Order: sequence, then structure tokens, then C-alpha cells
Amino acid sequence: MTANKEKRRVISRDAARRRRQVESEVFVDLSRLLPFQQSVQDHLDKPSVIRLTLSYIRMHTLLKGKTGIKVEASHAVKCGQVMESGQEWRGCDRGRDDEEKKTDNVEASEETNMFLRILEGFLMVLSTEGDMIYLSDNVSKYMGLTQTELMGHNIFEYTHPCDHEEIRNNLRLTAEEVWCGAKRDFIMRIKGALTHRGRSSNLKSATWKVLHCQGRAKVCVAPSSVSCLLLTCQPLPLSHTLLSTHTFTSQHSMDMRFTYCDQRMTLLLGYSTEELLGRSIYDLCHILDTNCLTKNHLNLCFKSQSVSGQYRMLVRGGGYVWVESHSAVIPSVRPSKSRPGAHQPLCILCVTYVLSGVEEPSLQLSLDQAVHRYLR
Amino acid sequence: MSAGGSDGTADRPADLAAEGECPEQAGSSLPAVEVPRKRKGDVEERSGTHGQHSVDFQKDDDRSRSEGEDQQVKMKCFREPHRQIEKRRRDKMNTLIDELAAMIPACQPMARKLDKLTVLRKAVQHLKALKAGTGSAFTDTTFKPSILSHDDLKHLLLRAVDGFLLVVSCDRAKILFISESVSKILNLSRLELTGQSLFDFIHPKDINKVKEQLSSSEYPRQCLIDAATGVQVQVDAPARPPLLSTGARRSFFCRLKHSRVAGKQDKHFLPCTSKKKDTSRYCTLHCTGYMRSCPSSQLDSEGDSEMESSDLSCLVTVCRLLTPMSHQPPKELTIRPSEFVTRWAIDGKFTFVEQQATTVIGYLPQEVLGTSCYEYFHQDDLLHLADKHRQVLRSKEKIETRCYKFKTKYGSYVSLQSQWFSFTNPWTKEVEFIVSSNQVISRGPGHTKDEEAGNSKALQEDTKQIPIIPSLSSGLGTMIYAGSIGTQIANELMDSYRMNSSPSSRACSPFGPTQEKCPQVSPQTSTSASSREEASGSSSQSQCDSRTAAGTSSATSESLAAVSRININPIQGEPSQLDLDLVPGLSSFSSDEAAMAVIMSLLETDVNMGQSEDFEDLHWPF
Repeated sequence: MTANKEKRRVISRDAARRRRQVESEVFVDLSRLLPFQQSVQDHLDKPSVIRLTLSYIRMHTLLKGKTGIKVEASHAVKCGQVMESGQEWRGCDRGRDDEEKKTDNVEASEETNMFLRILEGFLMVLSTEGDMIYLSDNVSKYMGLTQTELMGHNIFEYTHPCDHEEIRNNLRLTAEEVWCGAKRDFIMRIKGALTHRGRSSNLKSATWKVLHCQGRAKVCVAPSSVSCLLLTCQPLPLSHTLLSTHTFTSQHSMDMRFTYCDQRMTLLLGYSTEELLGRSIYDLCHILDTNCLTKNHLNLCFKSQSVSGQYRMLVRGGGYVWVESHSAVIPSVRPSKSRPGAHQPLCILCVTYVLSGVEEPSLQLSLDQAVHRYLR
Repeated sequence: MSAGGSDGTADRPADLAAEGECPEQAGSSLPAVEVPRKRKGDVEERSGTHGQHSVDFQKDDDRSRSEGEDQQVKMKCFREPHRQIEKRRRDKMNTLIDELAAMIPACQPMARKLDKLTVLRKAVQHLKALKAGTGSAFTDTTFKPSILSHDDLKHLLLRAVDGFLLVVSCDRAKILFISESVSKILNLSRLELTGQSLFDFIHPKDINKVKEQLSSSEYPRQCLIDAATGVQVQVDAPARPPLLSTGARRSFFCRLKHSRVAGKQDKHFLPCTSKKKDTSRYCTLHCTGYMRSCPSSQLDSEGDSEMESSDLSCLVTVCRLLTPMSHQPPKELTIRPSEFVTRWAIDGKFTFVEQQATTVIGYLPQEVLGTSCYEYFHQDDLLHLADKHRQVLRSKEKIETRCYKFKTKYGSYVSLQSQWFSFTNPWTKEVEFIVSSNQVISRGPGHTKDEEAGNSKALQEDTKQIPIIPSLSSGLGTMIYAGSIGTQIANELMDSYRMNSSPSSRACSPFGPTQEKCPQVSPQTSTSASSREEASGSSSQSQCDSRTAAGTSSATSESLAAVSRININPIQGEPSQLDLDLVPGLSSFSSDEAAMAVIMSLLETDVNMGQSEDFEDLHWPF
């Protein structure tokens, strides 16, 4: 009796082994079809193979289908390409020979490469559920993790939990937004596995990296309606080469009151440094821009870096200028040998670019612009 | 075999996958009864080396129990986490297979769920079909294989970025290269622009700015911001930076002309408008990029023979259209012609008055700024408005007033209704000012003197709550005490802040709750001279220190240890709301550690950007 049992067990084990072998072979076949170099293909585990296959198929579906978006269609017509129904976007080049296609491809590749390098960011295609369907291969430079490691995963696995709500809000696309190619602009923190020398480390020693994401929605109608976000993600650098006279730096305490500003501020806006110390930036800006500044401030409090978008700063004596600020929270370096355990005070560093000339110079809107300064 | 597969360690799922073992077998095929017997040996071998927390906890408890119970408990501990791991893996794989089936057309019409192998086989067929469809040109071995063809990537990139690539020579700002996407943004074709001077298309007021950015004289004086200290440092750059460095990075905004009609330049209309002001439309672009020297042999040099031998310096940038949505007027304020917005300090004194107000109240903004709003409120409305004032300082919501009268410059009153809301500083969470959105309500019958006389009686009733300055005449006295209403209400609020001021009310920081103890950040919004002095005194001190630190900052950054990991802490509530009260205790890291982590990541960003950027291998696409 036990011999039979034993036999059956052996048979079932062999069958299982054969099944597993067949399955492994199919996985290998599938991995060979993926557009990666062989060395990469060999090291993919099973879930990764499926993830990447999914990405491949999804990207094809996204690009193949009709878009029906007016902006895209008119642009295509402008460029001399006609979008025919059912045609791939790039399928309209029949009649051109392989050589031509090759040259075009080379040009396109060089331009795209250069574009991405200069932009200093990577491209991310996000599904409405947050799956990173596609990432350009330079993502490894910014996140330390390769395209194959990340593609297909969900963005919520890699971003800071506090930012999830904001990301979800950005992913929510109404039908109207999708059809108009609605734009998105937000900041998020993502895990970065880079050492401070720029080498890749592993996910376990990952740190939070702040990324500025900008882009728009894209939809593909046929065969099934698929909408997603196309985003470029850029880290926010701090040091800049400032040759421009139309830029100034300022330092603020965490509540956005000035603690320092350079002399260009005086040249551009008329306020002296002494006047500004202790004043809140909210006092200096147009009232309708309060929201913009608040969002910027919140980004700084939570994420430590921010890009403000355009807002108006009031000029001493009247009028205002449009500006944009790029800011970061930094610990102000102070030798604290006497108190080694002392907490390092934080401050906000802003680099503000002046975008326009002084508009409405005769208009005095706020108290700070008045010649006789109001002392509270 | 199954024991080998069931390693039990949670942190090496990759190993299990790589083995290609089907771990379902471990738990499911063997009857539960057999497992304890099989694993008894394992347990005793591994119990000393096992790293799982649950087992450790259990082990402590177990020591006090009898041996028999001991083992059973240990079995459970081993099986539970392992089973969970396996289950998770299986579930994940099943989910992936389901997703795959959903994407493959061949799998969809099936009524019943397909098994894993079939789905995989169909996926293989599907990929083969896709590859055949795309054409072989793109899968040429000379090209790196990639998920998207370059065309596709380009298409997606341009959808995401409203921008174009621009290369200009530094000496005369000649446009050496501009990508096709410029037509989408400026409505000018690539052909029209290439070879032209960039200055022809820049807003006149931005020409100097761009000239500065392009200048790369032998010894440019560069103003860098030291990332560590945030202080500007004047640096004399080396004669020729070999590779791109942060010194070669450029970032600026400029306005470029754009044509309304595709393909046509506005210059066709110039003859008639040449005497008028330049009415071209401009759009603002953010240009970021690097200075680069490009060998002139690759350039379209038009007879510039002196340039042939030397390298030309140029600027390679990506110009990106600014997102208009980044500036949106606040939703709370809907501005219509008969509306205007004002801002007051917490005591009711006007600090900002929109220009439209003049059409309604007659005063110019500067005439009203600095005076208390109570001076313009009609006596009848003082009580109600004072009440609303108190309310708005304590509420996070919009407060709507009833219709009230506001004195205009000419002495008459206009009926207004307003929505007020207080603005709270996200960091200090104290009210900084009040925003008032005011609408004109169509006027009822005008005021008569009788009415005003009647009002003064109501005034006397109010005296219980509001002190009158008795020595002054009623007219002047009214104004003075009106102003003091606001001040009194503001003082009430400040008192409540002083009483309630506690560390727990501080906002969270990226670094942790310890920041509020920092002496430099004054928690009070009171602008008394002493606190201002303190702030300026300490800030100038830090300035001195940071200047001396500037020289050593590079040294310190080198000597710093590897970046510490920042804890993930669940934070309740939506960060986007202005309510940060719900933040519980944050990261347990000291602020020093976490602060250093942030500064390291900022330095990383800077160092990595442009550090090993050499464009030698990139072919110039022209």
C-alpha cells in the first residue's frame, strides 16, 4: 500500500516538475520577445517579465489607437501628417524607404536624447490607477533604479505616503479634462537609491528625492478607452548660475518672513533689506496670489522644496511684477560646537525670477508701497 | 525539496522566484499533520539564527511554557509568516496574469477564466504579432532595443512638455538649431527661425537679460548660490570649464514673440503699425540648459572664416512654456466688475486695496491704506461687523456678512455685502490677515439726516460694550473709537495666541517636531520692535557664520557620512488642507540627522546634474 502511495507521490512530483519546466520555458520565450538586451532579459524574474510585457502592450495600445483630441489632430495636420483612422501615428510613412526611415529615426533619437538630457528629467506615463506604465531609460540617473526594475510597478509603492493624496487628486481625470489634454503640475517625493556621489545603491538605503512633475493627460479611444498622464519628472536643483540681474535670492524663516535678501531685490523691487526683515512675504504680494503662495509654502513645509508658479510681487512705490520662485528648506549652517546637541534652525531659501516689467507703476495697492511706511 | 523552498525568510523573495520553484507545493500538497514532524529538525536548527520578529517575540513567551506546547507554538509561527508570504506571491502572480489576460485580445472573448500557461502562451503570440507589425527597421541591432521607438518617445515627450530644444551661439545669439516643436508653441516654423538672431524674437526688455546669460567671457564673474549655506558666493570661473559643471548651468525666463496665425509672421502688418508701439504677443518661457563649446566644423558657418578653427561657444537649452494653471486666482474669490477685494491686518486696518475699489468707494487705494475699516462702516452695522470680525479670526471658513453700508469719499454710503476669510500662516498657524471680497448690493433709498440721528441712539445702546472717549465730540469720537474696535478685537486674538502658544501647535516640518524649539524662528507674529531686532540680530549673526562656513562647506560635505534614511511616518489628514493640527508626533530622528539628510539630497541633485554630463557622444542634430 505504501509503495503505491510512494509511487503516486513520485508521479505527482514529476508531473509538477514538468509543468514548472514548461512554464519556465514559456517565461523565457516571453522575456526574449521583450525589447531589452539579452543580458537584461536573462535576469528578469517571473513577475518582472509579466510586468514588462504588460507595459509593452499597454504602450502600444496607447500609441496605436485613435486619439481624437483636437489639439493633437490639428498639430498632426500642420506637420503634414494625416491621421487616418486605424493607422498608427507613425504608420503614415509608407512610401518612404527604409533608409529614410532610418535617418529620421537617428535624428529623432538624437534629438530626444538631447532633449531629455538638457531637461534633466525623465518621462513617466502613469495610468489612472497609478501604474508607471512607462519610464524613459534615463530614470536610473535620477532614481538609481533602472527602467526594468520600475516599469509596471505602482507609483504608490515608491512615493512618500503623505503625498499619496495629492498624487491621487492629480490622477483623477474627468472626461472633459482628458479631452482637452488637461495639464498637471505638482511636486512629489519619491524614493531615490542614489548615493551622494551619484552611484546607484539599493532600495533599502533609499532616501526621499523631491521631483517636480509636469505634463498632461492623454487618451486613446480605440480599441478601448485608456487615459493616462504623461509627465516629465525633474529633480529641483538648488545652485544656480546667476548672471541675470533679474533674479534675486532671499532667505526666510519657516513662516516665510524675510531674514535676508540680496541687493538685487532692492534694485528690482525697491525695498531695502532692513525694511524687509521680519516682514512676511504674503504682505508683499498681490492678494489674488495668496493661494499660489500658500501652496508653495505648504510644499516647503512638507516636501522641503517647491516651485511657486507665477505670482505678483508688489513694487515699492507702486505697481507689481510677475515673478516665479524656486525655493528649498535648508538648515542654516552654524557652528554649534558649544552646543553640539542644539537643533539646527531651518530656513527657506528662495531664488526669485522676475518675469515681467513693472506693471501699472502708478498703482498703489498695498500699505508697503506707500512712501511713508506704516509702522504697526 | 519543499523544505528547501520554504526558506522562511521574508526578505529574499527574489531567490525563491529565481529558483523557479513552485512553492505552493510546500504548504498545500502535504497534509498539515506531516509538517510538524518534518520540520521538527528544522526548527531546532534554525531557531537560533532566525531573524523574524514574530518568532523572537514568541520565543520569549515560550520559555515559560512546557516543551510540548513550545513546539506547537513555534510551528505556528513558522508556518504563519511563510504561508502569508507564499499567499502574497501567488496572489500577486495571479493578479498579474489576470491583467495580462485583460490586455490580450485573444484572451478576452473566453467565457471561463484561462489558466496561467495558456495566458502566457497567448502573450507570446501577441508580442510576436506586435513586433511583426512595427516593422523591422526599428529593431535593427545597431539601435538599442527599447519599449518605445524613438518617434513614439518623441511624440510622448512633446505631449508632456510644451517646449522645444534651442541651441544659440553665444556671440551673436544666432539660432543654430531649433526643434520642430517650436511651431506648436510660437506658431513660427523651424525654417523661419534657424539662422536668425534670437534677439529678433525676444521681448525688448528681456534682451539684456538674455545677453547676460549668453555671455561666457574668459573670466566670467559667476554668482553661485552655495547649496549648503544659501549664500551667494562670487566665483571667478576657470578659463575654460572642461566638462559641464554647475557653473555652466543656465536657467532663466524670457518672453518670446509668437505669431497668432500659423506660418505667418506679424511683420506683414508692420508697414501700417511701424509707428505704433510693438503690439506683438509674447509668451513666457522657462529656459534651462548648459553652456557648451561646439566644434564649429559641425556648424552651418556662413562665411565666418575666423570661426573655422576655434570652437564656438553656445547655449543648449530646453525652452518650456509656463504652465498657466500654476497661477490660478483663489477659488474663494470670484471677481466680477462690481466686486473688489481688500486685505486687512487682523485689527481691521487696510493693507491692500484692489484698484477696482476706487470705482465703488471713490477713494484711491493710498487714501484708505492704513486706516481702519471701522471708520467707514455705518454706525448701525458696527456691532454686527465687529461680531463677524471676531468670528472670522477664529474660524477657518468663509464668513459672510449681512448687507452693510460703507462710507464713500463723497460722504454717501454704498451698500455692500462681503465674504471674509482669515489667512493663517501654514507654519505658525496664526492669523496673518483677513481677505475681504466685497460686492455692491444695489442701493436702496438714500440716507436722510433723520436716519442718522436715529442711529446715534442705537450708538448709545452699544456703549455697554464699547467704551467711548468722552472728551471728544461725537463726530470725531465716533471715528476714533471705531478704529479702536478693530484694535481691541485684534488684541483679544493676540492674547489668546500667547496663552495657547505651545509646541504642539507648531506645524510639522520635513524634519520633525523638534524644530519648534529653535530660537531663531519666533513663534509670535507680533511685530514689536524687540522681536524684529531679535530676528534681524540673529539673522545677521547667521549670515556672518554662514559666510565663514561657506569656505568650509565643501569640506564638510565631503566628510559627511552616507545619507541617513528618513522615516516614513503616517500623517493623518490631507496636507493640502490648511489644517495641520492633526499632525501627531513625527519622525523620531533628531532634526540634525534629518536636516543633514535633506541637505545631502540637495547637494546630490546639484552634483549629479551636469557632473558627468559630457555631450561628446551626442551627435549634434544639425
